Amino acid sequence: MVEVSQHTLVPEHRLVDDDEIDALLAEYDISRTDLPKIKRTDPALPDEAATGDVVRIERDSRTTDRAVVHRLVIE
Amino acid sequence: MSTNATPKEIGAIDFGLMNPEEYRDMSATKIITADTYDDDGYPIDMGLMDPRLGVIDPGLECKTCGQHSGSCNGHFGHIELAAPVIHVGFTKLIRRLLRGTCRECSRLLLDEHERDEFAERLQRARDLDDDVNDVTKAAIRQARKADRCPYCGEEQYDVQHEKPTTYYEVQDVLAAEYPQLIAEAMQPDEEEDRPATSPQELADATDIELSRINDILGGEFRPREESREAIERALDVDLSEEDLNKLMPSDIRDWFEAIPDEDVEVLGINAERSRPEWMILTVLPVPPVTARPSITLDNGQRSEDDLTHKLVDIIRINQRFMENREAGAPQLIIEDLWELLQYHVTTFMDNEISGTPPARHRSGRPLKTLSQRLKGKEGRFRGSLSGKRVNFSARTVISPDPTLSLNEVGVPERVAREMTQTMNVNEQNIEEARQYVRNGSEAHPGANRVIRPDGKVMKILDQAKEELAERIEPGWQVQRHLSDGDIVIFNRQPSLHRMSIMAHEVVVMPYKTFRLNTTVCPPYNADFDGDEMNMHALQNEEARAEARVLMRVQEQILSPRFGENIIGAIQDHVSGTYLLTHDDPEMGGLPRFNETQALDLLRATGVDTLPDDDGTDEQGRPYWTGRTIFSELLPSALDLEFTSSTGDRVAIDDGALVEGTIDEDAVGAFGGEIVDTIVKQYSETRARVFINEVASLAMRAIMHFGFSIGIDDESISDAAEAQIDESMENAYERVQELIDTYENDDLESLPGRTVDETLEMKIMQTLGKARDSAGDIADEHFDDDNPAVIMAESGARGSMLNLTQMAACVGQQAVRGERINRGYEDRTLSHFKPGDLSAEAHGFVEDSYRSGLTPREFFFHAMGGREGLVDTAVRTSKSGYLQRRLINALSELETQYDGTVRDTSDNIVQFEFGEDNTSPVKVSSSDDNEIDVDEIADRVLAAEFEDEGEEFAGAQATNLSESADDRMDRDRPSSPIDVPEVGDD
Ligand SMILES: [Mg+2]
Ligand SMILES: [Zn+2]
Ligand SMILES: [Zn+2]
Repeated sequence: MVEVSQHTLVPEHRLVDDDEIDALLAEYDISRTDLPKIKRTDPALPDEAATGDVVRIERDSRTTDRAVVHRLVIE
Repeated sequence: MSTNATPKEIGAIDFGLMNPEEYRDMSATKIITADTYDDDGYPIDMGLMDPRLGVIDPGLECKTCGQHSGSCNGHFGHIELAAPVIHVGFTKLIRRLLRGTCRECSRLLLDEHERDEFAERLQRARDLDDDVNDVTKAAIRQARKADRCPYCGEEQYDVQHEKPTTYYEVQDVLAAEYPQLIAEAMQPDEEEDRPATSPQELADATDIELSRINDILGGEFRPREESREAIERALDVDLSEEDLNKLMPSDIRDWFEAIPDEDVEVLGINAERSRPEWMILTVLPVPPVTARPSITLDNGQRSEDDLTHKLVDIIRINQRFMENREAGAPQLIIEDLWELLQYHVTTFMDNEISGTPPARHRSGRPLKTLSQRLKGKEGRFRGSLSGKRVNFSARTVISPDPTLSLNEVGVPERVAREMTQTMNVNEQNIEEARQYVRNGSEAHPGANRVIRPDGKVMKILDQAKEELAERIEPGWQVQRHLSDGDIVIFNRQPSLHRMSIMAHEVVVMPYKTFRLNTTVCPPYNADFDGDEMNMHALQNEEARAEARVLMRVQEQILSPRFGENIIGAIQDHVSGTYLLTHDDPEMGGLPRFNETQALDLLRATGVDTLPDDDGTDEQGRPYWTGRTIFSELLPSALDLEFTSSTGDRVAIDDGALVEGTIDEDAVGAFGGEIVDTIVKQYSETRARVFINEVASLAMRAIMHFGFSIGIDDESISDAAEAQIDESMENAYERVQELIDTYENDDLESLPGRTVDETLEMKIMQTLGKARDSAGDIADEHFDDDNPAVIMAESGARGSMLNLTQMAACVGQQAVRGERINRGYEDRTLSHFKPGDLSAEAHGFVEDSYRSGLTPREFFFHAMGGREGLVDTAVRTSKSGYLQRRLINALSELETQYDGTVRDTSDNIVQFEFGEDNTSPVKVSSSDDNEIDVDEIADRVLAAEFEDEGEEFAGAQATNLSESADDRMDRDRPSSPIDVPEVGDD
């Protein structure tokens, strides 16, 4: 089977540790559920991602060098 | 809003069911009689027009609150229903609850474990903003699976819902003679050609033990549903009977009353606010009379509102029901009346229920009841709230006026006299205000009304205007006519993007149309074939300031859609600058102008001195080239270099056009490089001046050269004609060759295509090439000064393809991307042999529009043309709906101060706006010409501290007409507006 996450067009999805999440939530003054979502079944996610985790997605951007997005993993 | 009302902020809105007790508490009176007025015309007490429900007649006092009509909003009454009825709005929820709860103890049919699980899932769905319905539906689905109540053990039956408001319990009952029926079905049947079934065979087929089968046959065991179904399937018979047990609203109410609060919460219902039994009405609120006013007709007769009619019906049936019940009428009659009451209450709330005949007026017109008032385009939401009509607005036909600035709009005097702006009179403007009042409401610029400090509004009448003017003091307000320089909002539907609504400065003009500069046609997508536009006069200082700073046309030159200018030169402007700056050796090189001509070209611009000449002619008179004249409009320090789409290199050095032709790519709307660069590197104001001046210069230029197009401009020489004919002949031959190969089965199919498809593709290709080569021949023949060529080259209008079709060959007509294949059996028209594959039999138009089409070609052309028309019609409606959906989905997203884009419930949509925190209009549109921020900063600073040097664009006249007008003195900073005196004639 094709490993989607290895494709050049799929940006890096990295699981974020709790400290980083806390910092992120504090920075934007939000709770976890205010984050954009990503389905657990999304093939781009690392295998160990579980519901409730937060992933950090780093995309190449045409205007800025990279665009960072955090998403909450949901069912 | 009345003056003593305090605006309040709405913190939250709760939706839920209403407690019947609350209906009674808020009711001003119980309504018991269906009559409205007595013989003397007075409303009857405890009738539908009871004076305690509010007042509609002016002068009368409300019996509940004591206020007069206008200030009293009316008060609800109530009807005590003789028997409970179902609320039509909740039939689905009622059905779900009936199916998911126990018929005996009313508990949710989930064990504690399941219930907690669903409660948890519900909370999670709420946190994640998922659809709560998904969870509650799943809970009901799970609950329905239970055969027996996990709490009391009662057997559960399915609930059937017969729309709109009837519910049945379906109880499967075994017919008494079930064993006999099975035994009969096991006997052989000659007629149906059915063999006998032995008990053993039946046992094997159904997987039931033989002894059990025997028990069943002996009538000693009643089989459970599963085994019964299996037996019936094996024997191919249907023996069960359904018994429908109707659930009366009172039964349902009792049932729901016993549902525990905790169980209701699992279904997403807040039991504190909405008990399920409240969905069964026992008391009906009666809307205040102000919500259903009666109208007095010309003949003195009263005509009642549809809602009142409906309420009359309800009360009548309600009374009959009570009387019959008291008299001990038979159950059948009671049930009929109950159903009738249900019908009236249902149609009172919604008169467009499928399966129910709508309640009708005596005339046969269906009544407009509650839900009809709210629903649809003309309903309360879309019609009255979102689509509210507004004051201070005007609509009329638009027409072009090239003398206006793109910031301006020409407003007919009649409109200006109707629209007003409120002046707050003070020491500084009192004379001005008095002059407006003295001019009166008939003359422009005058005033229509004055408002005294105590709030009294006085109309300015012709007889009293002089005296009124003298009485005006500081603190008064004068509603003066709209006049030159005021800011208004201008709009053309469909308002698909931000630039569909822009602010313009008013120029009051004679005649009856709105006038606008042609350069603002692209953002509005306007033309002048009868288009109408709307204008809105702004009514407070804040709105005017906001409009001026954010919405003015010049602030919208760059489109946020693609980050380049959407306002610029169009059509003749482009032809004009092209003619002015094009260097064609065959046409005598760059156009040259003598002093008079040069001054004439620049006369409508702000340039009033000519630059150094470019040389002298044979007679020794100085001349200026078109490029030099064009350069006068450019900012003096502009450096720019780009390649236009025609491959022409355009170079601007230090504000002088040194090379290249100015065409659409340079100054056009939709991304003209020069305009784009000026907005981004200079200012909106400088860009506005530039566009205005380019448009004026171009118009003078095109008039200088003269520009027209006629049918002869598309004619080609006989030689070229012959050449085209020859190439057509060749193409036909090649097509015939292809057909021959195909018919000999020699055609090799392309990969992934059938032979037929391959043939079609190759024919299309050949014919496409034929048209192109015809176009090339024609193109060769046309001179460079051919107006159609100039327009196509410069990007002003039309393309070389259009020219090809006019002059050489229209080409293949297509329907659904294929050659035309429809019509008769195996042929397109009856004139062709069946199976004819030739070009002419499938819609190839060899002729040109100028030479004219043959009847067959004309017919094929109409077929292709029709598809185009249908396509556009479908596309506009489809994309309009798509746009609406998209806008509604995105409308509440907002960029916050922390840079995130969030929706109304603070969910983050983007961590940075556009993921790069960059506005598309602030970005350079090409890699070649990056925005040099340092350079801009230097220039601004230099301009700030330098007295001389380039005149800052902002110091120039705000608009063209002002600079053309002698009222405007270029050296004088903007002066307070003089109000001209207007004669009384
Ligand atoms: Mg039009
Ligand atoms: Zn009142
Ligand atoms: Zn039960």
